[in-house]
Amino acid sequence: MRKMEKRMTALICIAMMFAAGCGQRETTAPAVDNSPAAAETAESKNQSGDKPVAGMTCYMYSDTHIANVRNTVLGEAENGPVAVETSDSQFDVGLQMNAMDAFVTKGAKYLVINNINTNAKDQVIDVARRADIPIIFWNTDSPSDEEMESYGPCYFVSSAAEQSGVVQGEAAAKYWKEHPEADRNGNGKLDYVMLMGQIGNYDTEMRTKYSIETVQEAGIETNCLLEVVCEWQRAKAQDQMASVISANANDIDFVFANNDDMALGAIEALKAANFFTDESTYIPVLGVDATKVGLQAIEDGTLLATSLNNPVTMGKCIYKLLELLESGQEINSENLGFEIDGHKRVWLDYVAITKDNIEDADLSKYQ
Amino acid sequence: MQAKQFDIKKWAQNNAIYLVLVAIIVLIAVKNPAFLSVRVFRDILMQSSTRLIMAMGCMFVILSGGADLSGGRMLGAAAVLAGSLAQSVTYANKFFPNLPELPIIVPVIACLMLGMFMGLLNGLVVAKLNVPAFIGTLGVQLMIYGGVSIYYNMEPNRSQPLGGFLKSFSTLGTGSVFGVPYILIIAVVLMIGCHIVLNYHRFGKTLFAVGGNQEAARVSGINVQRMIMLVYIIAGAFYALTGALEAARTGGATNNYGQGYELDAIAACVVGGCSVSGGVGAVPGVAIGVTVFTVIQYGMTFVGINPYWQNVVKGGIIVIAVAIDVRKYAKKR
Repeated sequence: MRKMEKRMTALICIAMMFAAGCGQRETTAPAVDNSPAAAETAESKNQSGDKPVAGMTCYMYSDTHIANVRNTVLGEAENGPVAVETSDSQFDVGLQMNAMDAFVTKGAKYLVINNINTNAKDQVIDVARRADIPIIFWNTDSPSDEEMESYGPCYFVSSAAEQSGVVQGEAAAKYWKEHPEADRNGNGKLDYVMLMGQIGNYDTEMRTKYSIETVQEAGIETNCLLEVVCEWQRAKAQDQMASVISANANDIDFVFANNDDMALGAIEALKAANFFTDESTYIPVLGVDATKVGLQAIEDGTLLATSLNNPVTMGKCIYKLLELLESGQEINSENLGFEIDGHKRVWLDYVAITKDNIEDADLSKYQ
Repeated sequence: MQAKQFDIKKWAQNNAIYLVLVAIIVLIAVKNPAFLSVRVFRDILMQSSTRLIMAMGCMFVILSGGADLSGGRMLGAAAVLAGSLAQSVTYANKFFPNLPELPIIVPVIACLMLGMFMGLLNGLVVAKLNVPAFIGTLGVQLMIYGGVSIYYNMEPNRSQPLGGFLKSFSTLGTGSVFGVPYILIIAVVLMIGCHIVLNYHRFGKTLFAVGGNQEAARVSGINVQRMIMLVYIIAGAFYALTGALEAARTGGATNNYGQGYELDAIAACVVGGCSVSGGVGAVPGVAIGVTVFTVIQYGMTFVGINPYWQNVVKGGIIVIAVAIDVRKYAKKR
């Protein structure tokens, strides 16, 4: 009898957790600088079934940029003609494909995919093709021209990943030319340390490659002191940077980081090694993402530049596409409000952020 | 009675880990002699400090014959909690916009409470529900990560990395007294404390008994369930303290802090001579284990070795160290 009771208790516990989880879904997605109620209505309405539903996958909810895009789209959906349901792929290709199948099974009318299955884009498109519904790729690398053409209602909205690298390169080249003293060992070369995200990650590769290429294109000779993999993590960047500084203290001219968090870790390590005490011990550090802590560092005068992948613009563009598709109009740059190319792609720009235009990183400006 | 002869093979086997450490240092120093400097020494001690606190938490669990895969996520949860409570009032993007400036003891204690609570969860799952520790802590780890992500995504923070900590809080992680970093002092004090508890207190003896042979311990009247619960609670407190210190040391916190650290901690314990089947291990060994991995990581970056190779070497050392260790105890039996 006691055993039975225990089992019942366990079952009830699980049921309650499940219920709490389901209930949570309606409230977890507050829109950017909007009332939390927005997302709630957006998602609860579709359950009553009076609006067509778009199924949206996100590669990882905890990514700040992704969270902001998702919140923007859900906010737009509040008063829009299409309801939006979202799912977290948790950086797992299998989960993304499962979620897509689930959306199709549930009768979603659109798929909005933050694709991480980058080696099999045709298979991702196939899911939509079989269900005969439109698919929008977002914040990912683009399917090829042929793949885009192979399915009529296949669209693409993303910023060009290489731009985040280009922004770093431009800022570095500008600083280098304005500050001759930046060549700390006087060898005429820009000696740099590169703090990388995950190996094999698309953003890591693009940012690492294009930042340096841009510097070189500006006619500056570069010398890579070391490429260090810190997996986007601040603590790892700080530890590894401490080691780099001990080995090359007098040679480091620049630090390039694939994201702001690693840039901030590097700054902590530099501070601990008595850099950033005055102008003569300043070392330019470059990040990407324009996180709030990153912007704070720009204001403090430690971080030289970062770039913003504008989530509000991206979210609005995605939702505008859904609206146009729902109304059945032909989509062109004019009614979309964004430049769309011949292969149904929209490329959004990264915004370079330095001390001079820090207000451009304020997302509420783009609402 | 025959005079005991010095057996170099046996000596090498018993001290393999020290030999490995010396060998690595020599190799790195040959490549770049600047490695043998006070600065490098200090960096390595500092970077080892937080890892050591984490590894000691893990050590308690391993000694009891358990396993704990939730340490990294607990660290992350504590880092975010500490970060959200230790922000200065002037910082524009505060997690709790109306929170007054708290004395730094508040976030630290809050972290410890959270850690003990999370440890209690582990303990309940493993000791009361009899879920194998490996699976139980894996499940708890996921729940913790989910929970902290919800907290981290709350208005008005919405998954933004935390920053703008109080000066007094950051000093806890970066400051020093007479050139000795605070975190090193904390780690050493805890180290001595743990060593004493394990070797001279009843708790330690009971723990070794439980880890060595649970059945025997139970029959001899030890409350094994209670011991296991206690062990996970202690471990949780250690992980959480590490989380608070990591936030202070790095000046930031995100929900991804600590990801994968649990495996580093387990590896350090095992390389430091803890038996994965429980009942064998000591604090100095764990400290050396942690140091070995810090030296490898720091040293390889120092001489500019490709990161892929760092993993190959790290993995190799784990396997070799355990292989030697297993032999050591196999002979004793």
